[in-house]
Amino acid sequence: MAGFVDLYTEADTFLHRMDPRVKIFAVLLLSLLALVLSNLYYLLILLAFIFLLLFLARATFSHTMFALKFVLRFMALIIILWPIFDPSGTPMLASLGPIKITEPAIWRGFTSAARVGCLATVWYILMFTTSQRDLVRALVKMGLRFDFGLTLAISLRFLPTFSALIDSIKDAQRARGLELSKGGLLKISRNYVAILVPTIVAALRTADALSLALQSRAYGARADRTYLRDLKMRVSDGIALGVLVAAFVLPVLAKYAFNVKL
Amino acid sequence: MRALDLQDVRFKHRGSDHWALDGVSLQVEKGEFVTLLGSNGSGKSTICMLSNGLIPHALPGDLQGKVEIFGFDVKEHSVAEFSTKVGMVFQEPESQLFCMSVEEEVAFGPENLAVPREELRERVEWALELVGMKGYNDRSPFSLSGGQKQRVAIAAALSMRPDMLVLDEPAYALDPVGRLELYSVLRDLKERYGMTVVLAERDAEEAVAFSDRIVLMKAGRVIDSGPPRIVLREPSRLRNVGVTPPQLSEVAALLNARLMTTENSFLTVEEAERAITEKVLAWRMVKGR
Amino acid sequence: MEDGEGEMIPATPMLPREEKIISIHGLRFTYEGGVVALRDINLDISSGEYLAIVGGNGSGKTTLAKNINGLLRPTSGEVVVGGRSLSGRTVADIARTIGYAFQNPDHQLFCSTVEEEVRFGPANLGYPEGEIVKKVRRAIEAMNLESHRKTPPLSMRLGERRRVSIASVIAMDPEVLILDEPTTGLDAQESSELLAKLRRLNEEGKTIILITHDMKLVAEHAKRVVVMSQGRVLLDSDPRGAFSDPELLRQSNLEPPPVALLAHKLSELGIPKDVISPEELVFQIMRERGGP
Repeated sequence: MAGFVDLYTEADTFLHRMDPRVKIFAVLLLSLLALVLSNLYYLLILLAFIFLLLFLARATFSHTMFALKFVLRFMALIIILWPIFDPSGTPMLASLGPIKITEPAIWRGFTSAARVGCLATVWYILMFTTSQRDLVRALVKMGLRFDFGLTLAISLRFLPTFSALIDSIKDAQRARGLELSKGGLLKISRNYVAILVPTIVAALRTADALSLALQSRAYGARADRTYLRDLKMRVSDGIALGVLVAAFVLPVLAKYAFNVKL
Repeated sequence: MRALDLQDVRFKHRGSDHWALDGVSLQVEKGEFVTLLGSNGSGKSTICMLSNGLIPHALPGDLQGKVEIFGFDVKEHSVAEFSTKVGMVFQEPESQLFCMSVEEEVAFGPENLAVPREELRERVEWALELVGMKGYNDRSPFSLSGGQKQRVAIAAALSMRPDMLVLDEPAYALDPVGRLELYSVLRDLKERYGMTVVLAERDAEEAVAFSDRIVLMKAGRVIDSGPPRIVLREPSRLRNVGVTPPQLSEVAALLNARLMTTENSFLTVEEAERAITEKVLAWRMVKGR
Repeated sequence: MEDGEGEMIPATPMLPREEKIISIHGLRFTYEGGVVALRDINLDISSGEYLAIVGGNGSGKTTLAKNINGLLRPTSGEVVVGGRSLSGRTVADIARTIGYAFQNPDHQLFCSTVEEEVRFGPANLGYPEGEIVKKVRRAIEAMNLESHRKTPPLSMRLGERRRVSIASVIAMDPEVLILDEPTTGLDAQESSELLAKLRRLNEEGKTIILITHDMKLVAEHAKRVVVMSQGRVLLDSDPRGAFSDPELLRQSNLEPPPVALLAHKLSELGIPKDVISPEELVFQIMRERGGP
């Protein structure tokens, strides 16, 4: 059903309780940090820190692996392919025709993979500890226009519905003898018309109905708007924010202002 | 001032050459519970869409005649303005709930009207309690049953504190349990709150018992209007209009035919049971002598 | 005896042929995620029967139907159709014998004319062109769609769209027709016309299985009722047997028709509990009066 989209798992950890705006900001900063650091050791330290957060968020190994399985494959691919396509640097360890495997290239491969790992895991932690509702609410509070926030919220809300609808349409057409995986590319594309048309028609009908419902509840009646749920920053959020900024600013300063090799 | 006042109304959707309403006059008084009964194409949905201005503002077309909602001309006020007076519930549960949680859904309307937060919270709790969905605040709409979804839709309309609630075939997609839940909420609304309700239905089996008035419609016209007992007296008339008569009406009509009387009319099973038991016991007494 | 709108003495149902078209043994089905939808179902359906599988949401009736046409495969147990087990057969292959008309016709319609739509099924099954033309013609006639051959299905009204969807299933010439809530959204006339067509198909030998929670519909048309609740078969009998116990129906989240409820309440007076039509109830009441 909505499995792969909604990674949110309810739990009572400080990360779950943290103000979603702080979390979004944290994720952006940590992502930036991952991109700024180019030394493998420091990246691994960052990765370790992120794993610590993962642990504190009480993410299970199986759930994390499930969410990150493509990322892991991608990382493995980077590690393997980088030395093959990057012939620069010394010492050279092996060569085969135009392909030169050099030691620095191998390390660069690992560095890139570690970077991808940091990025993916930190976003996963955000999704894991923050409900879709809170995410949208945070974005709107941080300045996203309410219309866009509502569009985002509606899309997220209807994802499981449309996923189930498409399954239902597939079933209905299979019951008419449609075999979706047989035949050449041309036949398969024509077969998918039988799925696509009913889906689009259903989507358009739903959109029409939603539009009437929105209007009936005074959507757009006034420029100002109130909100039932408010996001209030607490002291703990403030502290987290402070720590975050410090943890980010120091390495960046060190690297660019003081030329420390990071 | 009437809740709804239609005088000689004709309406044709833009691009259509078929009159959805063809000369309809209909008045709904405050506090009345009116059921519009008719088959597909009878015009009952069109009247619902008129009641809060969706016709002609969101669904344009050729509108003739007078349409006043609590005294306000429908052509001269927006849907948003009417939304504080008329709450609307549509037939498809899935496509009228668009928020990620029940409480957001119910709060959505008043939020759009910039109602202050404390009052928002009050309204949400009040509306959820009224429809029997207290405590469901954080549930996602996807996880609810059809009947629960429709009740949330009603709560979302009620939180606007309207004076009238309009429901267009709300039980269409529901299973028997959902239907029962829905109708018990409507009955509550009528009996405890005296809310003005306009209900469009194709099958009157349940609503009959607590409607003040039934309006029979066919092909854009009002065929009859009156208390349930009177309008439902002739099942054949209902069939002519494309509506399945309630079984109890059929029983009463058949009984009347056999007994050559017109006195019998049953709106509820209990009523029928009492009346029939009385008769049968009376017959037995006579036979006993 | 009386002539009139109803039948005072119900017609003798056509004796179904002995051949069992569908045989289900020990069927269990559990959805991914652990929900047990069917528990140990045993059901035999003879060729030419007209039955209704009823139950509320979550009773398992739709899950059962999908196990019969192969859209779902048993977790354990066996489904035998036409003498052959379903395991190893594709849904397309099973569709030759079991036709399934979904509740929402809009989930199936996608072509630009009714004719193309009805062709879709038999074309998928690989019939030769001559055969396809014949099957399409018969299906369109059976559902009274001759005048709509070239009409775009999506522009038609719901009742008509449902007829198109059923025609497109009939065109595959299956022996068994499963229909999921076929009368939802139809008005009284459309509904009775559709059911008349189904009755005709049944008289021609097709096995009809209705999946529904509309008990009035069941009372009037089905000859056999399988009541399901929480994945089990609670009752498998003729409609009278099913309605004589309103409590049982309530247990499956179904509402007995008002006439059945009334008959039940009047049973103390001696009115039989298994009355299912208004005509019959009044007949029974009048008997109490005696005389002309």
